[in-house]
Amino acid sequence: MDARPVPSLTDADDRTLAGRAADGDVRSFEVLVRRYSPLMRAYATRVLGSNDETDDVVQESFITAWQQLSTLADPSVVKSWLMRIVSRKSIDRIRARKLHVDIDDHEQEAPPSSTPPQIAEAHSRGAALSRALNDMPAEQRQCWILKEIAGYSYDDIARELDLPVSTVRGVLARARKNLIREMEAWR
Amino acid sequence: MTDDIELEGFEPADLDGHTIDELSDYLAAGRQPVDPSIESSPGCQIALAAMLRLRTLSLALLESDVAEQPATDESFIAGILNSIGFEAQAGRSIPVQHPSAQASLTLTEGAVRGLIRAAGDTVSGVLIGRCTLQGEVGVPGEPISVLVDASVFWGESIPLAAARIREAIYAELLKHTELNIVTIDVTVHDVHLSRSLGETSVEEIEGEARDG
Repeated sequence: MDARPVPSLTDADDRTLAGRAADGDVRSFEVLVRRYSPLMRAYATRVLGSNDETDDVVQESFITAWQQLSTLADPSVVKSWLMRIVSRKSIDRIRARKLHVDIDDHEQEAPPSSTPPQIAEAHSRGAALSRALNDMPAEQRQCWILKEIAGYSYDDIARELDLPVSTVRGVLARARKNLIREMEAWR
Repeated sequence: MTDDIELEGFEPADLDGHTIDELSDYLAAGRQPVDPSIESSPGCQIALAAMLRLRTLSLALLESDVAEQPATDESFIAGILNSIGFEAQAGRSIPVQHPSAQASLTLTEGAVRGLIRAAGDTVSGVLIGRCTLQGEVGVPGEPISVLVDASVFWGESIPLAAARIREAIYAELLKHTELNIVTIDVTVHDVHLSRSLGETSVEEIEGEARDG
């Protein structure tokens, strides 16, 4: 018999894995979890402004994904679909936080140990942006990340954050000015 | 934060009457249609360049965040896998005859998809993807079509692989179910190398043929 290599699930494309997972194949789902956890954690940490709740949010996102995978019409877009889910879960967390403590725009910053890693890149432009984002009011940070990192439209952001589009535009305008000021000063 | 942050060099007076929000929308639209009053304004060009730097940097930031993520904790993965239920993918119930009239035996659609997947995976160089059963599977004898998505290892003959996939699936379903399978359609959506070698994607090659 021919001894061709057996294709491994680890190397399989997203469409194959998401299709199998939608049909109930847990091993394929596990490969997707391993493949996209780092991205989803990094993203959730940015949206949340700290990594205290990142693990919970990403776990919840994957559990929701498993339940809803069979509704995903095109399994090849599973990556952006997962990013939408983790966006939504992160936003839900922030909302829940606000219900607990009625704090204004300047929410309590997480202790330094739990902010995104800032060690090695201390002198880079990326570090400057990282700091500027963390120092911004939560609403500005969220809008900026949804717009510039996740590629959401104004309408999408308004829907996700439950805000009027005009408010989103205003918040983004302020975020943009804040960041340009920080980054141009740094230059 | 106040609503009206003054930003030197980025106010309408510096931008030949344009605002930074206008410029942002212009940038988002890919600088189309070309606006000569923006493109010929040195102030606008400086602002656009700053915004482009910021955008590039924002995207790079997430990439570096990802690179800095610690290796995914096994307990984290286990936490997810232990929390997922199997009802979500069970699907419809498929009756199986039993000698006793009192017994009612069914297979779940999920279990049948599992059989199909396992059968297809036995074909050399093949990984089965999504699998769909079309037709009234709950009614014995109804004509059923099987649709499977597959990726095939680089170097395999696609028509041959598709034929083997159909044979393997047909034999397996005949052995374990009473479904009246009329067609098995195989769509080869990807020809894969190892991911580490880069993905060679030969999109949507239809390995279509029918079993009678």
